[in-house]
Order: sequence, then C-alpha cells, then structure tokens
Amino acid sequence: MKEPVYEVFARKSREEPLRHIGFINASDGELARVYAVKTYDEQNWAEMCVVPRAAIIPIDREESQFVPTAHDEHEDEIVHSQGTGSYGGGDVAVKEAR
Amino acid sequence: MTDTLAAPAWDKAEQLPEDVRAPLRDLILALADSKRVLGLRYSDRMLGSPTLEAGIAASSMAQDEWGHARLTYALLGDLGDEPKALEHERPAAEFRSIAALDEDIDGWPGMIAAALLVDSALSVQYAALLHSRYTPVHNRVQKLLDEERFHFQYAAGWARRIAQVPELRGELAQALGRYLAPALAWLGRDDAPNVRRLLEEGIVSAAPSALRARFLAKVGPVLSDVGAAESLGIARDGEGWSHAGTLDWAGWNDATRRAGGGLDEETAARARGDKNRALLMD
Repeated sequence: MKEPVYEVFARKSREEPLRHIGFINASDGELARVYAVKTYDEQNWAEMCVVPRAAIIPIDREESQFVPTAHDEHEDEIVHSQGTGSYGGGDVAVKEAR
Repeated sequence: MTDTLAAPAWDKAEQLPEDVRAPLRDLILALADSKRVLGLRYSDRMLGSPTLEAGIAASSMAQDEWGHARLTYALLGDLGDEPKALEHERPAAEFRSIAALDEDIDGWPGMIAAALLVDSALSVQYAALLHSRYTPVHNRVQKLLDEERFHFQYAAGWARRIAQVPELRGELAQALGRYLAPALAWLGRDDAPNVRRLLEEGIVSAAPSALRARFLAKVGPVLSDVGAAESLGIARDGEGWSHAGTLDWAGWNDATRRAGGGLDEETAARARGDKNRALLMD
C-alpha cells in the first residue's frame, strides 16, 4: 500500500501568509495532521494545515512542484518507503506488501 | 462534595487539609512515574515503526511523555519532596508506574494498543485535574492535554490501519486485551478513602468510575472500529460505553495503584538515567 502525499503549510502569526514548509506521507488526513505537527514542530506555529497533494490543482502543470513526476515517485520510494531496513523494518509494512 | 466554584483555590500545598496531602502526592507520583516509563516504552519502539513519519511521531511522543513526567515530578516539590531525587535516585521497588508497562511493549500492534489504552487512561486522569482547586496542578495540565490529543489521534489512526491487515488484526486484539484491564483498574476504586478525599476537596473533578466511563467513551468507538470491542466486553450503552468484565482488585494498593510486582532493575536504571548521571545538570 502506497501512502498518499500531504503537503504541509504553516504560518507563525495571523498576519503572515501561509507558506509551504514540507510534505509527509500518511494513510489518511488524521494521521497526516499528527505527522505534520510532530515532524515540523521546531517552530512555534500559529497555524498549520495539511493538504492532500492530489487536491492541489496547479495552474501551470509544467512548473508546479505539486504534480507527481517520475522523479517524485522515485524519491518517495527512497525516502518514504515503508518498513525500510534502516528504520527497523516495520512488521506492518512487510505483511501489507505480501 | 465541596462546591468547587464557591470554595477558595489553594496556591500552595501547605494550605491543603492535612489528610489530602498524602493522597495528592500518591496521585502525582503515580502519574509522573507512569509517564516516565511510557516514554521509555515508546522510545523502544520508534525505530521499529512501519514508516518514517510514524517513527518521527513516536520519537516526538516519547519526548512529550518525558516532558510530562518532568513537569509532573516538579509538582512534588511543593509537597515536600525533592523532585530530582525522585527522578534519579529511587530503587526500582519504589516506582509507581502503571503495571501494564512493567513489560516491554511487544511489536507495533502492542505499541499502538499501549498508546490507545494506557496513554488514554493517564490523560483521562490528568483531565480530572484541569479544574483542580490546587492551582499548581491545573495550571500545568492544559498544555499536556493539548499534546495528548495528537497521541490519541496517532493511536486511533494506526489501530484502524492495522485492523485492515488481516494477519495483524488478531495481534492487535491480543495487545488491546493485555492493556485494557490494567488501564481500567489503574483509574482506581470509588470507595478508596484517599480517592474520596481528593474528590471531596475538589482536587480532582470525578470519581474513578466516572473516569472509567470517560475513558470508555474515548476508546470505545476506536475499539469498535477495529472489531475488538465485542471480544473485550465493550459495548455502546445508551449515550456512553460500558465494560462487561470484572476488575480484579486482589492485592490492590490504592496509594501506588498497583497490586504488587514492579519495574525490573534495568528499566528503573533507564528511567532514572543512571548512565548519564555524571552529566546531569541543574
């Protein structure tokens, strides 16, 4: 099972515009919320939100970073593969992959 | 019960009625020790997490728990204890952590079951301090509970996800079964004199049975979603949720919230931070 990508946006004060601070992989929006807070908690954000990458409609698809490209897919496999050896090999992911 | 709206708040432990101080210390110490050991158990599982994000979150949760423990130990200074000595110098036999955490957490389903049931039981007890007449306690609880909302979402989300994997569903149900009764029992007995005094004086806002009901209302829907409620004796009951099982109070100590046993020396040494003692700073 491949987890969808959620883009993470945040701002430090109400006056600031939301800015893109990163992305995470999560199986659903609720876990995406938790992962975003726990991954990007180095700042005291006034607001943070997650958006499914699939929900973003780029005006210019050629230029957008939010459109999955062959490179993104490859990167996902390396950085966000489930149950990688270096992170202990998740028993859940291994059994899911069967 | 005291009318807590009309009753004055207490800013210092020395203002508390004499017979309330020991029960309050017992409660705070049981909470602090349980948080400390829960953080250890989380940290043991974070490198075996199924995804990178789940591991980062588990690591952060472990740090949260240690932060909550430190904040809770610090409260005991007002009650005449030396918090640093409590944190770093007690033998294993004096730890009052919840018995469900005496053993290592087994596997990822075990990690999620502990996060769902043990962590939630602790949160429900902390939430009962939110409007405490003893102000040092209620001043510190809100931030802790804000962080705990994410621990619960994490546990609920992962429990639902594990339940979708047929081969792991049984393991999850087994782990939930291991933690449910100890978590329910840890909330205590209504007729325990120490618990009654804390309630009468408005230190805590609810009796153990009411806390158990809140706990079941919180975890019941998740247990139902993952198909484990029926086998655990948990069912929707009108507006709330009920547990059909009987809790075993044999040997129960209302002060320590344990029925004997204890932490092993190795775990206690890690909880005390023995290896880094030489580097300990104020």
